[in-house]
Amino acid sequence: MSEEDKVDPERRDFIVTTTTVLGAAGVAGACWPFISSMNPTASVKAEAVTEISLQGIPPGQVHTVAWRGEPVFIFHRTPEEVAAMQKSSGGKDPQADKARVKEADWLVVVGICTHLGCVPNKVADGWLCPCHGSVYDNSGRILSGPAPRNLDVPPYKFIADDKIEIG
Amino acid sequence: MANRVIAWIDQRFPLSAFIKNELTDYPTPRNLSYWWNFGFLAGFMLVLQIVSGVFLAMHYKPDVSLAFDSVQHIMREVNYGWLLRYMHAVGASAFFIVIYIHMARTLYYGSFRAPRELMWWSGQALLLLLMATAFMGYLLPWGQMSYWGAQVITSLFRATPWVGDHLVLWLRGDYVVGDATLNRFFALHYLVPFFIVGMVLIHLVALHHVKSSNPSGINLAAKDNIPFHPYFTAKDFFGLGVFLIVFCGFVFFKPEFFMEPVNNVPANPLQTPAHIEPEWYFLPFYAILRAIPDKLGGVVAMVLSIMIFAAMPYLDRSKLPGGARFRPIYRISFYIFIADVAVLSYVGAHPPGGVLAEVGRVATFLYFAVFLLLPLVSKKEEAWLRARGLPSELEALVAGEDDKAGGRR
Amino acid sequence: MKGLRAGLFILLCMTVQVVKAEAELADVDIPDTPEAVQRGAETAVNTCLACHNLKFLKYGDLSQLGFTDKQLDDLRSGKGLKETLKTDMDPTMLREGFGLLPPDLSLMAKAREGGPRYIYSLLTGFYQKADGSVDNHVFPGVKMPDVLNYSDAKDPAQRAAIEEQARDAAAFLAWAADPHAAERYQLGYYVLAYLAVLTLLLYLSKRRIWARLH
Repeated sequence: MSEEDKVDPERRDFIVTTTTVLGAAGVAGACWPFISSMNPTASVKAEAVTEISLQGIPPGQVHTVAWRGEPVFIFHRTPEEVAAMQKSSGGKDPQADKARVKEADWLVVVGICTHLGCVPNKVADGWLCPCHGSVYDNSGRILSGPAPRNLDVPPYKFIADDKIEIG
Repeated sequence: MANRVIAWIDQRFPLSAFIKNELTDYPTPRNLSYWWNFGFLAGFMLVLQIVSGVFLAMHYKPDVSLAFDSVQHIMREVNYGWLLRYMHAVGASAFFIVIYIHMARTLYYGSFRAPRELMWWSGQALLLLLMATAFMGYLLPWGQMSYWGAQVITSLFRATPWVGDHLVLWLRGDYVVGDATLNRFFALHYLVPFFIVGMVLIHLVALHHVKSSNPSGINLAAKDNIPFHPYFTAKDFFGLGVFLIVFCGFVFFKPEFFMEPVNNVPANPLQTPAHIEPEWYFLPFYAILRAIPDKLGGVVAMVLSIMIFAAMPYLDRSKLPGGARFRPIYRISFYIFIADVAVLSYVGAHPPGGVLAEVGRVATFLYFAVFLLLPLVSKKEEAWLRARGLPSELEALVAGEDDKAGGRR
Repeated sequence: MKGLRAGLFILLCMTVQVVKAEAELADVDIPDTPEAVQRGAETAVNTCLACHNLKFLKYGDLSQLGFTDKQLDDLRSGKGLKETLKTDMDPTMLREGFGLLPPDLSLMAKAREGGPRYIYSLLTGFYQKADGSVDNHVFPGVKMPDVLNYSDAKDPAQRAAIEEQARDAAAFLAWAADPHAAERYQLGYYVLAYLAVLTLLLYLSKRRIWARLH
């Protein structure tokens, strides 16, 4: 094999460069179907809208429903609880109670602790997370413990007096 | 910056030296024809099957009540799931086409001969691993053909003397092909391709030690080699382009060309379809299996028909270097063999019995005859060719080979 | 020359798949227009679903065929969008009535040799025998009744209308078996065009590079 046959890296041909660029673009494009296949399917995305009936939840009670595979607390608050929550602005993540509800006596929050993802348990004045002791009030706001944020409020709307649609 | 990183690595790991010696400056015979592209294509297909397979495995469910439906889920609901599935299914057939052509090239040009026996035998191992992987993969969609093909082929092991029944029970994990079988075939179908990767590395290490053969079949002088890069990288990528056009033609426009319609019917253990046949790449061996009336005999013949390739370095006793180029009788034998495999494929695709049964027996006999007569035929051919005078280029080399071997060969 | 021989061999291997098809199917073009598929969907929901399921289709999937919301609501008559297409008949009664469960139709256009043409030929294959009973050319002894009443139709205009209905039903089942076909062809054209250009460039690159050899 003579020395002249070895490639001279300086001589870059226009055709060869174009080919390489086009080929690399093709390889990148070919990756897309594989990556896309890992995204949720259309049916999973369709499941992301759930209708919930508010019937049968008396004042003072919480129902837990499934939305996108996650627990959502539907809390029918008593007037006393509403008043108490409107007076305060929460703890380390201050937020007005009015900003967290569409109708004052109904609190709809995602039941996943914003610390590391456990499901908090209902107690008299709010929720207590059994994993690391985060405490939330009756508006789902973080009062104490390691959780950084208030419980998330999912996108929802009232489609009737006694029905909401989450998602 | 990049150069400094590479220099840092080179002090600790032979990266640049490896790339230089084994890839860019690697000496390759300048006269390699396009028949030498197929090893690269096989490597490409291995990568494609593994990648498409892993992404399919993210959605497939290996349970008898879920498998068929999960494939439909992939085809209908997973984003580009239809593309993944068709790439993988067409890919299996493409892989076998490439491998069979690769094997044919090796047989024609005598590239299995010393010192390349270990390349040939690692290749033999690769063929067996690929066949096992393909067989197990075909069960996974859990269609009628999937089920009954697996049922028939696992039954073959019953022919094993003394332990036959226990062996079949152990293989299946149940009295019939069932959930236990499906689950383990999935686990193994995912695993064996990585054994194939390991065996490919052995195959390539052997290759780099003995270097490529070439169409003349004669070892070339060092001056007739050229660096692999950019000459053969360019040629391999061009060949890949042509291959991809044909491959994508099937994937996008005729993806079910190699599939059996009845496999779109979920497996029914209580009803066998009218015609059972394996995928096309198993047809010649299936025909040989059916050609022998005795059950054990049929299985032995089928296994031998695959394993006999391994004997080639010893069956070909001609001292004339290279393959078919300077040897007309060997060339004719090769073409007879190819035609015979085509006939066996045809027989294997049709129901047993009738005139094709006789054709199958004759073709099976011919298949083994071509191999087993080779020692005699090759020696006679060598004598005849020497008697009538060898071409000059061959004379010098044969004299050289005879001297080197000290008359041993 | 060598390439030609190899190509012929490969072609031979491929033909062993093709020669097996039976020759009894009608020589008909199954349309793939949206209108034909929509009409076929109506036949499927109103006629076929009496006994058959299409378990891999949901009512919501039918919106891909171009139906308006109102049309879709009429078609599914109260069934939920997420519900799969299933017969209302009880499986036990079906088994007793026909001796077997009518097969699911989601993949029928792929599960038979000839696919959609088989479906068309079956639907229009019913005829009256001398003794007045009805049988089928394509599937003698079939348990399925003559749902489109083809064996009864004597008037050519009537027969033509039923044949069109059968073609549309086959068109719908072809879509049901392969809903991504249109997308696949479209992507295929782009991919092959790209590969043709790239392969040409790869060829020219190869020639350029090899020209450096003396």
